[in-house]
Amino acid sequence: MKIENTKAQMRKGVLEYCILGILSNGDAYASDIIEHLKNAELIVVEGTLYPLLTRLKNAGLLEYRWEESTSGPPRKYYSLSTEGKAFQKELKSTWDALQKAVEHITTSN
Amino acid sequence: MNKTININLSGIIYHLDEGAYENFNLYLNAIKDRLSHEEGGAEIVADIESRIAEIFSMRLSEGKRQVVTQEDVDFIISTLGRPEDFAEAAEETETTQTETKRRFFRNPDETVIGGVCSGIAAYFNIDVVWIRVLFLVLLFFTGIGFITYIILWAAIPEAKTTAQKLQMRGEPVNLGNIEKKFKEFEAQGKAFGKKFKNTPRGFFDFITNTIGAILGFILKFFGVVLAIVGSVIAFTLIVALIGVFGSTWNLGGFDFIDINGYIYGMDGAQALFGSGWRLMSLRVGTLLTLLMPLFALVVFLAKLFGKSVSNARLLSFSGIASFIIGLILIFISAGSLATDFKERSTEVEKITVQGNSLVLEADILEESTGFLFDIDDDQLRVENVRFNIERTNDSTAHLELKHSASGRNHAEARQRAQRFDFKTEQTGETLRLSEYFSVPEDALYRGQDLKVTLRLPVGTTVFLDPSLENIIYDLENVQNLWDGDMLGHTWIMTERGLDCADCPVIEYYSAEDLEETIEEELEAMDDEIDRKIEELELEIKRLKDR
Repeated sequence: MKIENTKAQMRKGVLEYCILGILSNGDAYASDIIEHLKNAELIVVEGTLYPLLTRLKNAGLLEYRWEESTSGPPRKYYSLSTEGKAFQKELKSTWDALQKAVEHITTSN
Repeated sequence: MNKTININLSGIIYHLDEGAYENFNLYLNAIKDRLSHEEGGAEIVADIESRIAEIFSMRLSEGKRQVVTQEDVDFIISTLGRPEDFAEAAEETETTQTETKRRFFRNPDETVIGGVCSGIAAYFNIDVVWIRVLFLVLLFFTGIGFITYIILWAAIPEAKTTAQKLQMRGEPVNLGNIEKKFKEFEAQGKAFGKKFKNTPRGFFDFITNTIGAILGFILKFFGVVLAIVGSVIAFTLIVALIGVFGSTWNLGGFDFIDINGYIYGMDGAQALFGSGWRLMSLRVGTLLTLLMPLFALVVFLAKLFGKSVSNARLLSFSGIASFIIGLILIFISAGSLATDFKERSTEVEKITVQGNSLVLEADILEESTGFLFDIDDDQLRVENVRFNIERTNDSTAHLELKHSASGRNHAEARQRAQRFDFKTEQTGETLRLSEYFSVPEDALYRGQDLKVTLRLPVGTTVFLDPSLENIIYDLENVQNLWDGDMLGHTWIMTERGLDCADCPVIEYYSAEDLEETIEEELEAMDDEIDRKIEELELEIKRLKDR
């Protein structure tokens, strides 16, 4: 078992929640989201994100609109749908509970 | 000067230089491949393309450049990630690595001449040594290796890009493999103890330059040798071409090159094929078949001296095409010719011979070419005369001439058989025969032959001059001597056939020799007696049974 794989699995698990979290603070262009995630060292390369965004959008959690760009083609701006907002809140409570549980287990031993 | 290739990403045109395009295209295709199984894959690809466009635009305007380079593509790859990273997060879909179809390429990294052998070796995944040995064997034993190599050289493209080199080996063309190749080159480069730029082009340049320099030296050395060989071949071909067209365009007498054999041989073609469409078909056919090696030679020589023939492929294909058409023409011509040999007819002529003590001689043809027939002014000279001596019950000797010839039908064969010119001359007791006979050129060569039989009454003597050696054919004689041994002796016609009048008695060299001979003869007589007794016993038995 490789440590890298486990790390990647962990990151992938929380990625969806993080994207929703970023968007709950305001609409964002894909590369803004990427920027945030990169700074937090949650992702290394952008490629990982595009399939995920499309999947969340197709699931009805995200909406997007086109905006003209001065440098390059038009951009997609993503925002949370009402369904997405509810989804994000539910994930947040799960995450908080999970965080406490993990902390409790790893420190009490 | 670098070539650029235009691409369209999200509605914006970008110019990529050739190498960058090659890798970018691979990269994008690999991503598309990955995403094609996913839901909404096309949309994801569109998002990615638009992101790439944005990065390109940003980098170009920052650097105030027009053309996307390998560095930009490298940046894209490091930013967006490898194609594997695009697979949907948790679902590690097993991507089936399909064996990509191998393609024929010449291998520019392992060359002796043109990289044909190593390309074939890569295609069949075997060691190049075997292919090289095969070609050398073919070269030395049949020469076909040479032509084959030239054709393959012209026809098979060289593997120029890394992608083509991968295809050559049947390895899947993806980014991982390309990077692996780069690393291999890097390792090779380090083995040379030199530092390289980080761009893959640097390695290629170095390697191709090194190989090029060494090859160039070898090529120049062998080039001179090969050029000489090539020139000889070219010269021979040109001579053959002159020969083929020689008499058609009245160059027959053009004897500036001492190649009588060729000119005669080709005039011989006319004597065989006549002057109608068949000859034309033969000549055009021969010319067309000769074009292929000629083209190949042109391409080969050009390559030798480093000049690429821009339409080498066209040249070699048209060479092959003309070769095939040429062969067809030759076959049609020859096939039609065969019908002219369908019927055969023989004419007999008698010439009285005076005297009963004859001397027989022949006119030796000095300029005999050894061919079946030959051109002599406007006559065909056929050296197909067979001379024989037989006994006759007539009171006087005579010569019997049997002319035979073939034709499309009986009438034609008969007419042709009558058109003979054979010289015989009797002065006193000397009878002179010719070694050949002539037929008019327009009668063409149609298997004409002549049987000359001298019929002698019993008691006639004849001296056979050694000059007869070329026409004497299977003469029966009492001594049972070979034709050649009969010459230079006087013979007398007896009831039993020709008997030698002055042949020396066979000499025995020693007593043992003689004893052995006697023993052999006695044994033979014993056998004969036994056989006879057996025969008679059978007869007695048969009679008793009755």
